[in-house]
Amino acid sequence: MIRFDDVTKSYLPGIDALAHISLEIDRGEFVFLVGASGSGKTTFLKLLLREETPDSGSIWVAGRDIGRLAPARIPYLRRNIGCVFQDFRLLPNKTVAENVAFALEVIGRPRGVIKTQVTQVLDLVGLGQKMDRRPHELSGGEQQRVAIARAFVNRPLLLLADEPTGNLDPATSSGIMKLLERINKTETTVLMATHDVGIVDEMRRRVIQLEHGHLVRDQARGIYGDASGTQLRGFSSISVGAVSGDDEDLASMPGRQTRARRGRR
Amino acid sequence: MAVSFDYVAKETAANLWRNRVMALAAVLTVAVSLSLVGTALLLRQVVNRQISQWSNNVSLQVFMNADATPQQLSEIRVLISQEPQITGCTYLDHEASYLQAKQVLAGEPTALEALTPAITPTVFRCQLQNANDAPAVAAIFNGVPGVFQGHAQYPAQSVRTMQRITNILQVVLLAIAIVLLISSLVLILNAIRMAIFARRREVSVMKLVGATNWFIRIPFMLEGLVQGLIGAIFAAGIVLLSNIGVNYLVRRYLSSSTLPLGQLISTEVVVVLIGVVVGVVGSTIAVRRFLDV
Repeated sequence: MIRFDDVTKSYLPGIDALAHISLEIDRGEFVFLVGASGSGKTTFLKLLLREETPDSGSIWVAGRDIGRLAPARIPYLRRNIGCVFQDFRLLPNKTVAENVAFALEVIGRPRGVIKTQVTQVLDLVGLGQKMDRRPHELSGGEQQRVAIARAFVNRPLLLLADEPTGNLDPATSSGIMKLLERINKTETTVLMATHDVGIVDEMRRRVIQLEHGHLVRDQARGIYGDASGTQLRGFSSISVGAVSGDDEDLASMPGRQTRARRGRR
Repeated sequence: MAVSFDYVAKETAANLWRNRVMALAAVLTVAVSLSLVGTALLLRQVVNRQISQWSNNVSLQVFMNADATPQQLSEIRVLISQEPQITGCTYLDHEASYLQAKQVLAGEPTALEALTPAITPTVFRCQLQNANDAPAVAAIFNGVPGVFQGHAQYPAQSVRTMQRITNILQVVLLAIAIVLLISSLVLILNAIRMAIFARRREVSVMKLVGATNWFIRIPFMLEGLVQGLIGAIFAAGIVLLSNIGVNYLVRRYLSSSTLPLGQLISTEVVVVLIGVVVGVVGSTIAVRRFLDV
């Protein structure tokens, strides 16, 4: 489904956003892409969408070398890839149904097809009752469901999700993850970049970890931190000291008390 | 690329409405500049018609001395009849040519007072086959006894003056029109740029879900075309009005007939085409520069 062949990409000379990445993702896989900010996750996704081209190496999606795709063919590549983002990217002046329908309208689907597919996909994400609402009338989780519906309505082979739960609380996030799993069960490959440790550790899917543009881990049924624990340990040893110091300061602040009490309720 | 007409019409109309102030500015500038273009074109056609009519009226006048003898007059008649270029002649005797002179000198009372029929030169007024030969034919009569002067008469001075004035007027009108056309192009370009900016979310979603480049571009380009077209239609109306004015002036002051409908229509077509071209060029530049798809 996806193959990276020794892919290197840099925006500034001398600094590789991605360096010599080679990997393969099969059809129907569910893959987490993890790594700190700036590790190259977003570049990875942009390359798949042909928003960027690799400096060297080649990227294959569904049997096509997308680095060699003629510019006029790029839209057709994107019709096979659904995209979901942390900030939802819904159109505020359109209703839920119109937002989803927009994705089909602009690729020239006939109106009858659009209507049935939109209804279907909104039922699938559980928003059949809220078709005529506008995005600002919905909760964050619901908005993300609309975005997923829009990404999936065209039945893409591949669904890319760039921190889809980044703006959502844990309960809502797990709902979104269930939805992504359902979509994955339809043979749709799901590639999700995330910082959410809980989700990755709980789902136990393949984990690809990037660090400064290098592929440092590719593990089936992995967790967020790597198996040897270096990444997590390093991470926590820095943060524990800093955070605990902060904690004491914060404890003395009145606002903190209020927040804690509100949390308990 | 299956771009549905519905979709494009809806998007274009929505864009125009959202951007109505900018669109109005662009439309009005197009209208003003194109009415100038149209009027200049009309004016040129009128003047050309008048001038060509005048040039066909070139005639030869042989002025006799006031005291020319009947003998000399008949010799001139023979000369005239021998000259193949001359198609016809009328002779104005003292009385007739005095009446003519009175008209010509109407603005100069002192000269008129001194003039009497007896001292007014008599004139042979002849039509020529080919207006271009007039000077050569006129030369034949010069020096013949009794002839005061053989004179190829163009409606000369007035034609040249008029030609010169209208040329200047045309250049000025066209220069203003070109400046205005450029500014309307820039205004359309800017209007489309604003439209693109206002719709950047839609555009980014469209790119994301795989809309083709033309699908994204066409509503914007059409928006520019519509702005140019509406401006041009306004201008066409104004040109129609100025045609009425020009016709009035022609009837009042000139001898040629008013412009035929065909020429008016072709002028209007030119005006509308220029409007469309300005709209399309402006929006194409905007789309190329500001819509990176």
